[in-house]
Amino acid sequence: MKKTASTPIPRRLVLGAAVVAAGLALSACGGGGATSSGSGGNVELNFVFWGDANRAKMTEAALRIFEKKNPGITVKTEYQDSAPYADKLATRFAGGNPPDVLAMANRSLLEYAQRGTLADLKSFPELNLDKVPETTLSRGEVDGKLYGLATGVTTIGMVVNKTITDQAGVTIPDDKTWSWEDYAKFATEVTQKTGGKVYGAGYDVATETGPIILARQRGEDFYTKDNKLGVSEKTIEDWFQYSVDLRKSGGYPPAGFFEQIGGSPAQSYLAKGTVASQIIPINNFRGYNEAVEGEVVLLRIPGETTGERRGYSADPTMLWSIAAKSKHPKEAAKLVDFLTNDAEGAAEVLTQRGVPINPEVADAITPKLSADDKTFVDMMASIQEDDLPPAYVYPKGASVVADTLKQLTTEVEFGRVSPADAAKTFMEKSNAAINK
Amino acid sequence: MSVLIKQPSGAAPAAAAAGGKQRIRPSRRRKQRSGYLFLLPWFLGMLFTVIPFFASLYLAFTDYNLFTEPNFVGLANFQAMFEDPRLIQSLKVTFIYTFVSVPISLAVALLVALVLNRGLQGLSIYRSVYYLPSLLGGSVAIVMLWRYIFGNDGIVNGFLGLFGIQGPAWVTDPQFSLSTLIVLNVWTFGSPMVIFLAGLRQVPGMYYEAASIDGASKWRQFRSITLPLISPIIFFNLIMQLIGSFQTFTQGYVMSGGTGGPADSTLFYNLYLYQKGFTEFEMGYASAMAWLLLMIIAIFTAINFIASKFWVFYDN
Repeated sequence: MKKTASTPIPRRLVLGAAVVAAGLALSACGGGGATSSGSGGNVELNFVFWGDANRAKMTEAALRIFEKKNPGITVKTEYQDSAPYADKLATRFAGGNPPDVLAMANRSLLEYAQRGTLADLKSFPELNLDKVPETTLSRGEVDGKLYGLATGVTTIGMVVNKTITDQAGVTIPDDKTWSWEDYAKFATEVTQKTGGKVYGAGYDVATETGPIILARQRGEDFYTKDNKLGVSEKTIEDWFQYSVDLRKSGGYPPAGFFEQIGGSPAQSYLAKGTVASQIIPINNFRGYNEAVEGEVVLLRIPGETTGERRGYSADPTMLWSIAAKSKHPKEAAKLVDFLTNDAEGAAEVLTQRGVPINPEVADAITPKLSADDKTFVDMMASIQEDDLPPAYVYPKGASVVADTLKQLTTEVEFGRVSPADAAKTFMEKSNAAINK
Repeated sequence: MSVLIKQPSGAAPAAAAAGGKQRIRPSRRRKQRSGYLFLLPWFLGMLFTVIPFFASLYLAFTDYNLFTEPNFVGLANFQAMFEDPRLIQSLKVTFIYTFVSVPISLAVALLVALVLNRGLQGLSIYRSVYYLPSLLGGSVAIVMLWRYIFGNDGIVNGFLGLFGIQGPAWVTDPQFSLSTLIVLNVWTFGSPMVIFLAGLRQVPGMYYEAASIDGASKWRQFRSITLPLISPIIFFNLIMQLIGSFQTFTQGYVMSGGTGGPADSTLFYNLYLYQKGFTEFEMGYASAMAWLLLMIIAIFTAINFIASKFWVFYDN
């Protein structure tokens, strides 16, 4: 038999094999991850948090000090806006690639802790907790183990654009004694006197921090000591009804006014000048004062003296956690120790994440604070002068509760459901999520 | 699909005719082998789809929270799906989106293709311009742009304002939010349009000539010549668009910031699946949802194939 001509086949085979090899090589390099350790030397920690560019800058400055004090450790950071951050964090943990040190929201702590994804911070000798008050520690404790350490304490407050109210000729009521009715009257007046150009109230109905304080003022614990839902249906109904009434009277913008624009002070409606007041976490006061044209004043939430008891609590702004599966737990603990106990590092971040929980550190940075930050710190101090009712760790399912509140707020906003029905649905869904 | 004139290939039939059907010629085997070799990367890539495919089938019958081992729960996930109001809402949203935007999108695509088929100057430019949105339409950037266009300070309400019409809150009002996404889907009509254009050009001109001679109107010509002859293409586009729009995720996610809001009005099925799996850590339920979607798409595709016997006309 004649030998077949050899050239066509080998060429095609070679070409085909080359394509396969190239494909495999490309897919291999694409997957190369950042594995941190070098030989006996550089440890790279992955540190994630949420916030805006400003917070990131200050945090980076503090981290450079950490790296100088700890040669051999470098810190790589990533940050997002708070909502995408929560999604990304979940995906990273699920994918088996968690960060080493992370910022954890109050409402998510238990969900992550009870799944064994976080390390017990008390187990690290590198992390010194001696100076931290017990009440602060308890906000991150589950079954005696510490899964999240408060980054700082803060609470919510009402910021009012005084320039606009002065121009409109509206006096701001005394914030130590005003009731929710006073606030409604104030807001309606602002809208009227600005001819509808500025709405008096622009607080977010959908964030649970508002109802939490309202509940506490009425003697209820939104989240109870034994990790259950303690708020009453009536309180939720009143919370919704209040916003409906305020919208009707004109004090609150009409349905559909608020769009999702991002959480930073610069993007807020207060900064845009279309609302005169908003509820904010008061550690962000400086950011808002800088973003808003005009003078902004920081006030207490209404109803503190007109309810059954004080509604305020000193809350962790957020918590530092270490992933249980972190490859460098010791170094991660050193970083958390630095963030909590180091005065030099704290001097860079100041009160971005709340008043430092280590009182010595808090004292050390006070002289460095700007006027706005001092306002925040002073307010925290004066709020805590009276005895505040206790506050507890958010239970598992708290993020479902937050989402349910958000959904129902929209339904109430567009009149698709009455406040009474919304409250009923809220109780059903929230209890189902928490008791699951 | 298109009306092809078969070119008989020289070597193979001759070989077959020469009684070589039992024995494949060496050249043919060579071609087959190199064909398989070129396909090899795709087969390897299949590993990335086939393994998760069967894994999700297993997970659909488990309770899996991503951090601890999955445990078998039988049909519990499927039973829970029937009583899940958000799931039913997500089906409603997805169905409304699909059955409104796909017919409109195909109609617009066909209309534009008909216009372009008249042999305009600069046809390739128009074709590219109309095709461009369909390339970009599913991208995050375009959906975000859409959000701003339809936002309270956006162009759409600004334009309506010129006529003194107070436009609704397109993005934040649950009644209108889905419509903005339907408009987005229709805007990306370019890809079926290009296929229609190719199909229209395959229709032999002589049919139209013969019909005009017999005195048929343009509409009659369209109805009796064009439509039947491009019906395979309509069928193809219909199936592809249906399957694609049942699986919508990005548009819903970006437009609502991942919430499916306002008030679950943009909660697409896949978006709810994502929420269940990655934010509520119920991956077993999410896997069950994935398989339900597969069955739904399969059923609709089967219905279409059966119905096609009645209206799709294959020339050969």
